Amino acid sequence: MEQHNRFWRVVLLAAPLGVFGIFVLWPLFSSFYYSLTDWNGFDPNYSFVGFDNFAKIASDRLFLQAAINTAIWMVAAIVLPTTLGLALALLLDSRVLGARVFKSIFYLPICLSAVIVGQIWIWIYQADWGLLNTIITEVTGEKYKYAWLAKPDTALWSVIVAWSWQQTGLAMVIYLAGLTAIPGDLLEVCEIEGATPWQRFRRVVLPLLAPSTVVVVALSVINSLKGFDILYIMTGGGPFNSSDTLAMHMYNESFKKYLMGYGAAISVVLFLIAMAIIGLYFRQLRKVDRIYG
Amino acid sequence: MARVQLSDLRKSFGQVQVIKGLDLDIADGEFVVFVGPSGCGKSTTLRIIAGLEDATSGAIRLDGRDVTRTRPADRGIAMVFQSYALFPHMTVADNIGFGLQLQKQDRALISRRVAEVAETLHLTPLLTRYPRELSGGQRQRVAIGRAIIRNPRVFLFDEPLSNLDAALRVQMRLEIARLHQGLGATMVYVTHDQVEAMTLADRIVVFNDGRIEQVGSPMDLYEHPENRFVAGFIGAPAMNFLPVRVLGTQLEVPGMATIPVPPGKEAATELGIRPEHLHVVDGLSADLSGEVELIERLGAETYAYVRVPGLPLDLTVRLPGETALRARSSIALKIDWTRAKWFNASGRVL
Repeated sequence: MEQHNRFWRVVLLAAPLGVFGIFVLWPLFSSFYYSLTDWNGFDPNYSFVGFDNFAKIASDRLFLQAAINTAIWMVAAIVLPTTLGLALALLLDSRVLGARVFKSIFYLPICLSAVIVGQIWIWIYQADWGLLNTIITEVTGEKYKYAWLAKPDTALWSVIVAWSWQQTGLAMVIYLAGLTAIPGDLLEVCEIEGATPWQRFRRVVLPLLAPSTVVVVALSVINSLKGFDILYIMTGGGPFNSSDTLAMHMYNESFKKYLMGYGAAISVVLFLIAMAIIGLYFRQLRKVDRIYG
Repeated sequence: MARVQLSDLRKSFGQVQVIKGLDLDIADGEFVVFVGPSGCGKSTTLRIIAGLEDATSGAIRLDGRDVTRTRPADRGIAMVFQSYALFPHMTVADNIGFGLQLQKQDRALISRRVAEVAETLHLTPLLTRYPRELSGGQRQRVAIGRAIIRNPRVFLFDEPLSNLDAALRVQMRLEIARLHQGLGATMVYVTHDQVEAMTLADRIVVFNDGRIEQVGSPMDLYEHPENRFVAGFIGAPAMNFLPVRVLGTQLEVPGMATIPVPPGKEAATELGIRPEHLHVVDGLSADLSGEVELIERLGAETYAYVRVPGLPLDLTVRLPGETALRARSSIALKIDWTRAKWFNASGRVL
């Protein structure tokens, strides 16, 4: 019996471990390996270049630009959906007329793929006949019409807005669940002790939403690190690399310039950044766990 | 400290009226306990006094001032919840000092007051801990600490001990009694545990179906219940009820020889006898005889559940702890007629 169980345990574990090995571990270690080579992606003959690719990164102006953009992208892509999601959740948690309908409407964008969201917002931002410029023209005349995605100063932020529009619904749903989980008597204590609405939010509701915030932020970090598709669709990293993120830069170096070894080096740096963020996340998680159990 | 007056208090949730007109006057410094079965309106009444629920009609006065529409925070009350309602993200010190922090009191003053309260409640070594690192009893003490730090005029307790184990409940009961003696504050306490009610209360208010059945001191309610509900609710184990029938000048009790109707009890339909007012005797002088169904030994005392032929329910008899009686043995019982209660068809005491 024990022997039989052991057999099935091994078989059932082997399948997912096999998939994980082939699709995660193998590419991961391959990236580490290729980052030390000058492979172009096709040629079987390539040479081992040590840390040259990493040295090149240090002097790559476009990498620096992409790193700055990634930082802006990540901070905005975390802060905006989280804040907006929380605000919507607080609003819809109180007895607003039609709250149920609004919950569904605000959640809807998360069901769309990033490609579709990107395309919708390309139409909204379209310079000549897009929704945004049409409204602006109606209100202010031609004066403030703008090519939102085609200008370096607005391209990245325009994508961030589109991204936030999609991600806010997810944050809202998680916060709504968190608000429902706050015991009513804790809010009654606030009432009896004379807390103002702001004190109640700041000192009780927000801290009690910490477990939800941890989840929302974790999802935002993961989603924003993976946030390649919407940028690719909307701007392709342009114009003039103004919306180039590290993921975008890695893609361009690897698959457009065929510098697979250099692209792999960028991916290794991205991996290390992700690990550092995840490390911070786990530290925070332990702290939340101590309090909320 | 304050006097609390409720006048013609009513509360409805939609079509359902849960409080059906309460009048109650709680004296300054009094410890009043609300008891009653689940759903009788005792907790709702407490929440109306706190201001957490609005009264549909009627008035609440604190020291003569009408506070019916006053915000909870402006009533000068403090409440201790069944669930303790401690903030999980705050330390014990922050939980206790919460009210003072909201008032933006001076930090040094808050620390001093927290330290004083913690000292009173033996919480000083726990001030830096989080609620989940405390035991149930410690958590309840923190909740009490948060209530006393603001020197409220009235303390409201909503079943504060029901989440604690039996031993801890006894200990906390004593602490609350001591606290009342020390502070001399007006306290209103809701419980369904009548031992808590009997031991803590200056006066007990018995609730049933949104109304007050009777108000009185614990012994007053025990010795002189006004109706069948109070007689059955106060006292553990509960009073025995025997159906009776008056036939002319004779009274018929199932399982018993007929007796002459006692004077003034002509309208009796039921006889109530407390378990300690049934005495084991030899067969000759017995009023009732039957067989012991079950024996419960509690140490200091023993309860015997006796089946008497003709009676619909077993009789409960309180016996000394060291009784030799066993299950299945025959038993003869004498009623202490001087302590018996008689009830008419509408449940009033005759």
